[in-house]
Amino acid sequence: MTTTATGPQTGVTLYSFTNEFLTRQFELDTLMAEVAKRGLGPNIEIIGFQNFREFPDVSDRFADEFKQMLADTGLNPVSCAINSDRFLKPGAQPIEDAALVEYHKRQLRSAKKLGFSLVRYQFALPVHLLPEIAPYAEELDIRMGVEVHAPMWAGHPAVQAYGEMYDKLNTPYLGWIPDFGGTASRIPESMLDAARAKGAKEDLLDKLKEVWLEDGMSHEKAGRLREWAAPKGHSPLEIQAACLAFFILSNHDPKSWAALVDRTIHIHGKFYGVSEDLVEEAIDYDTILPLFKDGGFTGTMVSEWEGHAYDMRDAFEQVRRHQAMARRIWGS
Amino acid sequence: MLPVERVIGEEGLAATAGGLKLAMRLPWYRSLPFSVVEVGPLSIDGEAVDLSDALIEYNGEQWPLSQNGEKVDTFWFIRDSAFLVLPSLKADAGSAHEVSLNLFISPPYIPGMRRTNPQTSTLIVEAA
Repeated sequence: MTTTATGPQTGVTLYSFTNEFLTRQFELDTLMAEVAKRGLGPNIEIIGFQNFREFPDVSDRFADEFKQMLADTGLNPVSCAINSDRFLKPGAQPIEDAALVEYHKRQLRSAKKLGFSLVRYQFALPVHLLPEIAPYAEELDIRMGVEVHAPMWAGHPAVQAYGEMYDKLNTPYLGWIPDFGGTASRIPESMLDAARAKGAKEDLLDKLKEVWLEDGMSHEKAGRLREWAAPKGHSPLEIQAACLAFFILSNHDPKSWAALVDRTIHIHGKFYGVSEDLVEEAIDYDTILPLFKDGGFTGTMVSEWEGHAYDMRDAFEQVRRHQAMARRIWGS
Repeated sequence: MLPVERVIGEEGLAATAGGLKLAMRLPWYRSLPFSVVEVGPLSIDGEAVDLSDALIEYNGEQWPLSQNGEKVDTFWFIRDSAFLVLPSLKADAGSAHEVSLNLFISPPYIPGMRRTNPQTSTLIVEAA
C-alpha cells in the first residue's frame, strides 16, 4: 500500500460492479476479495447505500466485520459515498434543513466508524447548510468532497456558490470530487446502442444529441425531449432510455477542471467504455488527467464504470483497462 | 433486462394464508427509502389488480401500501426483495400467471427524475 503519495493514485469504486452485486453474484466480502485478487485496488470507494445494509447507521458489530474484510483483502477504504437525500417525498416540499443536516451527520459517523478517510456528498445539500456541517466533519476528522457531477462543471453557478462558501469557511475538510461525466465530449456510442436496442429510433437520438448540447438542468432537458418526442409516437421507455444521457453526462470544456484542482480531494474517473488500445469512448482523458498531475493532485482517482446503467459488459475488464489508461497518461 | 431495471423479484409469486405474495426488486443501483417508490399498476393475466388493500412486507415488517409515501426512514436494501401482499387474491400452487408490474422511483437527490420500470413475467405460484 502506498503511504507516501508522490502523484495521483488509482483505485476503484465498487459502484463499477453494480450488475455483479445486484444479481447476487458477489457478497460484499467476496466482491472485495475479487477486486483485491485482480489487483484493482488497494484504494476503494464504496457507496454507503449500495453495499452496506445498515446504512445510514452502521452498528459496531458490522464495523468490526468490515474492518476484518479490509484486513483480509488489504484494501484501503478511501472514500464512502454518502447521499444528500433532500427530496424524500416526491411532489412535496424538500425535508427541513435540520433533518437534512442530521441525515448527513448520521452518514458521516458511519463512514468514520468504517474507517474511510473522506466522504462524497452532493449538491442537493443547500450551500447555506455547510457552516453547520463542516465543524462536525472537522470534529470527526473526516473530509467531505462535493461531487461535481453532470450537469455541474467548474463554471456552473452552483459550483461557484460552493466555491465562495469554501473560501469563507477556509477549511481543509471541504473540497471537490470531480466526476468527468460533466465534461463529456459526446454521448457514448454504447449508450446510444443500448437505446436503439430498446427501440429508440434515429430521429429521437438525433434530437437527443441536439438537446444534450443545450443549456439547462437535466430534468429540464429531459422535459424538452419528452415534449418533442411524445407527440411523435416515441414510447415512454424509448424516451427514458434516451434521457439517461441528460442525467449522467454533460458537454463542457475538459480543460475547465483546472479551476478546481487545488481543492480536489478525490476523483470519480467516470467512464463508459475503454477500448483495447486504452481510449475512453466519450471522455477526453488525455486532456483531463494531466491537469491534475501537473496541478499537484496526490489523492485517488477511482475508476467508475457506469455502463451498467444500460448494458452488461464485463465490469472487471473495463476497470482494468481504465486503470491501464490512467497509467499510460500519468506515466506511473 | 438490466439488474437496475427489473422489478419482479427472484422469489416470484406465492400463495399464502394472507393472500397472494409477489416478490419485488428495487430498480435502482442503491438502497432508497420506500417513500420514493410508487408501486403499481399491477395486472395479473391481463386484469388490473385493485391495490387498495395491498400491503408491503419487508424485513419482518408489514404496512399498508397506502402508507408507503410516509416511509422516509425505512430503507429498501438494494439486494433484497420486498413483497407486495394481496389479501383478496388467491391462486393455486403450481398454476402459471402472467404478471405485469410497474414501479416508479424518484431518486431523492436528483430533482425532477421519475423513472418508469415496467416488467412482465410468467410466474408459477409457489406454495408458502
